[in-house]
Amino acid sequence: MSGTLVVAEHLRGALRDVTRELVTAARELPGPVTVAVIARDPAALAPALDLAGVDEVVRVAVEPEEFEADVYQRALEALIEVRGPDAILLGFTVNGMGYGPAVAAKLGLGFASDVFALATENGAVVATRAFYGGKVHAELEFPGKERVLLLLRPTAWAPAEREGSPTFSDLEVEAGPSRARHRDFVEVTQGDVDITAADFLLAVGRGIGERENLEELERLAERMGATLAVSRPLVDAGWMPNARQVGQSGKTVKPKLYLALGISGAVQHLAGMKGAGTIVAVNTDPEAAIFGTAHFGAVADLFEVAEELEKLF
Amino acid sequence: MSATRDTFANLATWEIVLWYCLIVVSTAIFAWGVLRLVLKYRRGRGSFGRVDRPLTRLAKATRIVLTHAWIKRRAGLAGVAHALVFYGFLVLFIGTVILGFQDDFANPVLSFDFFRDDFYLVYSLFLDVFGFALLVGLVLLALRRGVQRPARLSYRRPDRTDEEVDRRAYVVGDWVFLGALFFLGATGFLLEAFRIAQTNPSFEAWSPFGWLIGHGLRDAGLRGHAAQRAHLAQWWVHGVAALAFVSSIPFTKALHMLTSPANVAVRDERAGKRLPELGAGIDPDQVGYGRITDLSWQHLLSLDACTKCGKCHVACPATASGYPLSPRDLVLDLREVAEGAVGIRAELGIPPLYDEAGSVLGDPIRPETLWSCMQCMACVEICPVGIEHVPIIVELRRRLVDRGELDPLLQSTFEAIHTSGNSFGEPRRKRARWAKELDFELKDIRKEPAELLWFVGDYASFDPRNQRATRALARILNQAGADVGILFDAEKTGGCDVRRAGEEELWRSLAEENIATISGCSFDRIVTSDPHTFHTLRNEYPALGGEWTVLHHSQLLLELLELGRLEARPLEATVTYHDPCTLGRYNGVYEAPRQVLRALGLELVEMPRNRDNSFCCGAGGGRIWMKELRREGARRPSEQRIDEAVALGGIDHFVVACPKDVTMYEDAIKTSGHQGALDLRELSELVLESLELTPHPATVSTAKEEA
Amino acid sequence: MRIVVCVKQVAVLGDEVEFTDNERDVDPDYLESALNEWDAFAAEEALQIRERLGDGEVVVVTSGPEGAEQALRRCLAMGADRAIRVDSDAGPGDPISLARSLAGAVEGEAADLVLCGVQSSDAVQAATGTALAELLGLPRVAVVRKIDWAGTGPATVHRELEGGLVEVVEVDTPALLTIQTGINAPRYANLRAIKQAEQREIQVVPAEGGETSAKIRRMFGPPRGEGAELIEGGPAEVARRIAELVRERLQ
Repeated sequence: MSGTLVVAEHLRGALRDVTRELVTAARELPGPVTVAVIARDPAALAPALDLAGVDEVVRVAVEPEEFEADVYQRALEALIEVRGPDAILLGFTVNGMGYGPAVAAKLGLGFASDVFALATENGAVVATRAFYGGKVHAELEFPGKERVLLLLRPTAWAPAEREGSPTFSDLEVEAGPSRARHRDFVEVTQGDVDITAADFLLAVGRGIGERENLEELERLAERMGATLAVSRPLVDAGWMPNARQVGQSGKTVKPKLYLALGISGAVQHLAGMKGAGTIVAVNTDPEAAIFGTAHFGAVADLFEVAEELEKLF
Repeated sequence: MSATRDTFANLATWEIVLWYCLIVVSTAIFAWGVLRLVLKYRRGRGSFGRVDRPLTRLAKATRIVLTHAWIKRRAGLAGVAHALVFYGFLVLFIGTVILGFQDDFANPVLSFDFFRDDFYLVYSLFLDVFGFALLVGLVLLALRRGVQRPARLSYRRPDRTDEEVDRRAYVVGDWVFLGALFFLGATGFLLEAFRIAQTNPSFEAWSPFGWLIGHGLRDAGLRGHAAQRAHLAQWWVHGVAALAFVSSIPFTKALHMLTSPANVAVRDERAGKRLPELGAGIDPDQVGYGRITDLSWQHLLSLDACTKCGKCHVACPATASGYPLSPRDLVLDLREVAEGAVGIRAELGIPPLYDEAGSVLGDPIRPETLWSCMQCMACVEICPVGIEHVPIIVELRRRLVDRGELDPLLQSTFEAIHTSGNSFGEPRRKRARWAKELDFELKDIRKEPAELLWFVGDYASFDPRNQRATRALARILNQAGADVGILFDAEKTGGCDVRRAGEEELWRSLAEENIATISGCSFDRIVTSDPHTFHTLRNEYPALGGEWTVLHHSQLLLELLELGRLEARPLEATVTYHDPCTLGRYNGVYEAPRQVLRALGLELVEMPRNRDNSFCCGAGGGRIWMKELRREGARRPSEQRIDEAVALGGIDHFVVACPKDVTMYEDAIKTSGHQGALDLRELSELVLESLELTPHPATVSTAKEEA
Repeated sequence: MRIVVCVKQVAVLGDEVEFTDNERDVDPDYLESALNEWDAFAAEEALQIRERLGDGEVVVVTSGPEGAEQALRRCLAMGADRAIRVDSDAGPGDPISLARSLAGAVEGEAADLVLCGVQSSDAVQAATGTALAELLGLPRVAVVRKIDWAGTGPATVHRELEGGLVEVVEVDTPALLTIQTGINAPRYANLRAIKQAEQREIQVVPAEGGETSAKIRRMFGPPRGEGAELIEGGPAEVARRIAELVRERLQ
């Protein structure tokens, strides 16, 4: 067989979203799409892989309940040997990182990770990914490689829709014991908010004026699914705990999205947030320094914008 | 009858023998104490006692001590009171020496008896008047300490709770010292009075105070034999008290009579302005100060020079803003360790004892105490006994940096400076980006010679608000036709605050690279608008071979105005000016910026704390790169300074001449609750306004770039 | 007990970029270099394990040109015992080849533990460590936030999964762990120590050749203008655009 092999990702008995995204990506490559599900009870997960564009679902039963790198590696090697795919797609996830590169190294495959765009030229895969802190993009080719293993960036592709027409089969592999064994999961205690871990920060600054206004913005953050962060003056004023502060004297944050309302952008603040993926700033002052760093800016009253936002979320 | 008195009148021979025995004992105790002190100081680094130009130092110290030049500064009546005590005690001491010389040498050995008649009368008058001055001074000091209780005499610490620290021994020591001196003086007068009451010679009117009391006693019926008995008793009381006092000097607050003048003599005149160098290739345990014996012998001595006067305590911006640092307490903590590890207390086994091999860092000197310092030099500037708090703090910081124990923000700043050459972590090619906005080209001094090399500095180059001032200066220089060039991306941060934060080798490598770059250029003078850069280029680079004439831009602007190359038009505004620490206290440049302001026709109103008493903005010594250590609710130094300016009333502009001040005070005007009360102007911005190159320079350039 | 730490001198790009003439990389003039952030945590972790166990040796290894020795010197300044540089000139696009170049030198050390950073800040492939583990035949755990190890026998480690979930894993040693930031606070390597480290000898070994797993054929600026794109219109329009951005950027 040629075509593309996708390895499904699951955690604690549930399929993870990235799997459906991988299927969408796989459909951009020539040949049939095979999804392998490696689990103690793959049959339980397989129905969820009934996705548009999937030609075959291969159930691989293994001993461990959760991800174990050795087991996944051996299972994937067996799949590759049996199925001979041109491309193997895994998620650029903590689990994907744990065995994908090992398989590529062992089998001498073409390899790239954090890929967010795919193309084929003359039958060969071209993968696009970022370098240097996301500041530049590059196309990668895999000369002399008939087979590539790629780790794809989650959320880069839309998830494949349900209801396809795959065939289902089973593959038996001798996965053997694992040298790194899953023991437990630990939920991180939510003592204080860790703003550095948030994907979406709603940051407010001196522009909010009064302490009472903070409540409204906290409510807005909650509705938008954002974590509230603040600039230094609000912490200094004792309105918010230090753990919420972004900036040189607070936390350095790199969320995917940073929405700054009423923050002028003192140099110390900018130092703490300029690594954010997308920065959107709302400020009444068209000369506010933050517009030099933001990707999107609006000269507007933050409360008027906040009011409108409440209607949309 | 000749006018004189017999020292040993009324004493039996055995009493005189006993007296001389007591002198021997008390002198021995005193000598042992002094020896122990000397041995303690010898434990410090450096060859003990070695100083350059000893005679000059002695002369200067003598002048400083005798004129009370340092003691009287910002001291008011306390300075006068100290002078009364000092001169009272000094004259009484000299009188005692003269008496001893007469009794024990001149008379018995040389048969030369000068202690009579005119000499005796003048001697009596002098001692009587100065003895009285001593008592008056002591009473004033006691009133101040006991009734007025100024903040600087409070032992409350910003870094410890009252429960954590017991300073009762200090309080007792202070009062015992005052009381002992008063007792000595008072018993002396009584002794004299009993003698006069007994013998009543008319010439003793030359001892007016003794004479008055003596006659009072006589009037009360004390004369003849009774007076003689009282005199004998009092003789012993006074004598034993005096000997006890002498023997106690090395062990009590009286020690400062020896150590303070000694420290004034051996101090580094440029302490703090010039930092001690770090030897090349030394071991980690030789870097900076970690153990008490790492201190130089001068610094060990200086700890004992402290009189707990508290001038540094009230001058320190960190103390005033609730940072866990008081320069006084730092010195006293170190003194406790020195005493308990290698001093008299260690010798006698009196707790608290310290392990001399143990580190002082952590306990009792907490790292956050050291990181609180802004290196503003207010403490060193005002210390009446020449203690070098600033270099001591830098040395202690050096050890922390060497052990890798530093504030994470400071650490990342050092790392950014190491990789990118600037504290903003910006790529070096962006350094001269501010100049792109100008409608004229600045010379690249690396490629063509110029009269002036403009070393721009980090904040002036990268901070958007500061770039406005930097461009203003560029436009002024262009207008004046000044021949000026910049180093573009070859300039690295000057390193002043890197060094003051304790990262000596990073400073050195920055300095070496800058010196190499500058040395490859052709120019006459260097100018910079950044006082920190100004300081390190002017005062610290010469040690590494970089010697040039360095100007602060205020000096250059004044020069251009005076030469008529800039035609200033009068501005109508009332302004106040903040002296940057590194420009003022470090380099004595107080007048140039003021003269520029006056040349612009501005009305300059001084804040109460100006010139050498300027109050730091809170950014110096690397503090601008560190996390906040202030006690919650305390007002930061920059806010206190804005309060001070606003309190003057009617101030339009708060004028600064330092990029870090621009950053700190722009922020403080907003956070202090005085937004709109006044606005900030960098000196160059006012000059540019005056030149009317553009009517409103602050708003004319495009929004995007200004943001 | 010996711990090998693999480190990388990464290239850091500022706000401006120009590409090389063949358009396969960024013009080196626009790059600054630094020790990879993740590797600093890995080195610190190795030093802390050594300090905790009271003995052992920490060996830092890098693969790169002579300039990459800066990264090694910083680790020596932090307290590493020895340093090895594999002389190679690998570009940023091929982590498998990078792992191959490291394998020989690391294998020769017969380490009890091999630590790598999760990823490098310039390439962000998060692959070198896992690939190296395979080449060395070692068990591996990726994205480790805590190590509990007595110096012999299996180690218990915490992996940081997405969304803040932590997985506890038991791994046989010798093992290779990739270290996540935040596992510790890397100590400051002061310039004095770095200068002293400059006097230390760094063992240089040749790279073993291997096939290429990937090749950059074109590098280009991301399709985005510089500075803020102004959102025009009143509050309602602004809010709508923000809502769009929220959905777009967060999926």
